[in-house]
Amino acid sequence: MILFNYIASFFLIVLGLYCIVVKYNLVKTVIGLSILDYGVNLLIITIGFNPGGTAPIFTQGEITPASYFVDPIPQALTLTSIVIGACVTAMSLALVIKLEEQYGTIDTREIRRLRG
Amino acid sequence: MNMLSLQHFPIYSIMVLFLGAFLIVVFGRSKVVRHSVALLATCASMLFMMGLIKPVMLGGEIISYWMGARVPAGGYAIGIALEVDALSLFFGLLVSTVVFVACIYSIQYMSHDDNVPQYYTLFLMLAGGVMGMVLTGDLFNMFIMVEILTFAAVALTAFRNTVTGALEAAFKYLVVGSIGSTCILAGTIVLYAQMHTLNLGQLAALIPGNLTTSTKLAFALLFIGFCTKAFLVPFHPLAADAHGAAPASISVLISGVLTKSGIYGIIRLTYFLFQSMGLGTMQFWLVFLGSVSMFVCVTMALAQHDFKRLLAFHSISQIGYVLAAVGLSTALGISAGVYHAMNHTIFKGLLFLAAGAVLHETGTTDLGKLGGLSKKMPVTTVMFLVGAAAISGIPPFNGFASKWMIYQASYQKAVESNNIGFLAVTICALVTSTLTLASFVKVTQSVFFGQLPKEYENVKEVPFGMRLAMGILAALCIVTGLVPNYVTRFLTEPAAKAVYHVGAYINSAMGAGYAESVMQTVPVAAEPSFVQHGVWSPVSWLCLLMIALLALTVVATSAKYDKVSLGEATDTKYQLFYGGEKNFYSQVGSDDLFWGFKHNWRHYFSFMHELHSGVVNDYALWAVVALALATLYALVVL
Repeated sequence: MILFNYIASFFLIVLGLYCIVVKYNLVKTVIGLSILDYGVNLLIITIGFNPGGTAPIFTQGEITPASYFVDPIPQALTLTSIVIGACVTAMSLALVIKLEEQYGTIDTREIRRLRG
Repeated sequence: MNMLSLQHFPIYSIMVLFLGAFLIVVFGRSKVVRHSVALLATCASMLFMMGLIKPVMLGGEIISYWMGARVPAGGYAIGIALEVDALSLFFGLLVSTVVFVACIYSIQYMSHDDNVPQYYTLFLMLAGGVMGMVLTGDLFNMFIMVEILTFAAVALTAFRNTVTGALEAAFKYLVVGSIGSTCILAGTIVLYAQMHTLNLGQLAALIPGNLTTSTKLAFALLFIGFCTKAFLVPFHPLAADAHGAAPASISVLISGVLTKSGIYGIIRLTYFLFQSMGLGTMQFWLVFLGSVSMFVCVTMALAQHDFKRLLAFHSISQIGYVLAAVGLSTALGISAGVYHAMNHTIFKGLLFLAAGAVLHETGTTDLGKLGGLSKKMPVTTVMFLVGAAAISGIPPFNGFASKWMIYQASYQKAVESNNIGFLAVTICALVTSTLTLASFVKVTQSVFFGQLPKEYENVKEVPFGMRLAMGILAALCIVTGLVPNYVTRFLTEPAAKAVYHVGAYINSAMGAGYAESVMQTVPVAAEPSFVQHGVWSPVSWLCLLMIALLALTVVATSAKYDKVSLGEATDTKYQLFYGGEKNFYSQVGSDDLFWGFKHNWRHYFSFMHELHSGVVNDYALWAVVALALATLYALVVL
């Protein structure tokens, strides 16, 4: 089950990179970035997962060596990463809107005034 | 605990910048408030860093600061730490000084723009991100800071969104920069899965004994991530786009500060976390990457006709020097590398500020349209000449001192390791330096000398604030060039020594004796030697060069010389080169100055021009290919 998660996360990462490299539509590039990010998020959450573990919520003194719970640190990292991913999407879409206004197209092959 | 003890200085110097950013969001409407907040924040950050010089640089202390006083328990680092050793402090000092100067410059440079409060907010966020990145002792915290600085840099690149290509550059930077950041995150989490810690000190203790396939993959991911931040080949087109489009004060930060954070990351990764610099192939690849960066980017710069874009390519070329020197893995090499990193920040900052001054007064950075500005802007011209001499490695400016050390270090490495390949690095560095001079001759000639175009008759010198900022950097250029012995003794040698004291770094974070208890072999902190190889003093060589040049001038002016025939080149624009020009005042165009050289290399130049297609998919593909190669290398060799 966990193995399937790892495979899925690497599949998502590769899919995201494929999308960025191959698709000429700016919006699809942004979608590729998001997929890449989801893949990494899935990887993080999978690493922290312990099969059968409880939620890592304990009060002072409640925690014993016998407590079995999932690792809380990757969950915190994932939250941060999701926020950053949302920012990347928002900012890149804002840039796409502005680019469309200036260049009249969202084809990456035509947005290349800076080259050489 | 005393609030003013040195322990707190690192967190203060990061905090004041972010605090300033938030204050400007709230109270930034008023001009006086936002300027004073920005100046105070950057100045305070610089002073806090300077306060640490005595204990860290001279005393050799390592300052560990645990957020919320959550010190390691049971052999595991739980809290987030700031770790300041001499290497971190070196980069911290560099960053805070240049940020302060760029802030002084911004006040008058940005006075004609709208949305200036947002500019200062992003400016301080960028500065805070870089400060956090170089001072932190936690890998995930490093990722957060990298994201903050990337975001701020992207937003600032697109700040003047009416400038041609600003949005385009920002978008490309965002896409490839995000791939890089995601690589850093993935590398961080793969390391966490193996080691169950994010503290750099603890990771450095645990990784070398437990090299698994996963940690090797993490190495490749982190390495490529930091390479994107340093804009090394193959990520250099992004730097060129971003520098060209951003306001000049931001170009200073992107080129002088942001690239340094990438270099800092690479040093931390290779020397501290994986301690893999003993490997011959690792040294080879770092030096190779550095040499390729320096050569490819300098030739790209020769073909440019935009002032700032040209400077951007030079910037990556100089970063190539830094990486090549650091990759030599000798004490002299590291010392030379960080010295050049410092000098690069200073002189490249100066050059970008001069380019910004030209843009501010004339409204263009196109080399073909400018000319003769030395009569109208004498101070800027002098400042630019100082910067140009420094970057080309002309004594007595600072570029000469550090380049000389790089030549020495690579030659010494070649002798020590009996490997002729390192000699090729010395030659590559020398050739690159010559080409750098060539392209700065071109810029000087086509911007500051020659005929003044009619539309720039009314151009004035820039305001005092901008001249002051340039003056500070020019003075630093000269001072650090005149007293290289003091700079190396007080700044770069402590930083280079810190690189060799991995054990001390680990123990400072995790408590005394941790490194010895966990690692099989603690890296021995032998006193590194900084002795230069050459037995001749550079001063006497300089005198010899002067005499030779004088003699050559005498001989050349006294002899009769033949007319040069151009053969099949019948284009009338080349007639100026043999004195047949029709128009007395006609100026040699910036593209024509080295046309002979460019003509012989035309296949190379047109190949490179085709390669840098400007399509974001291509750049993303390069990133993916680089990642694949790095992974392959890490899995097979490391």
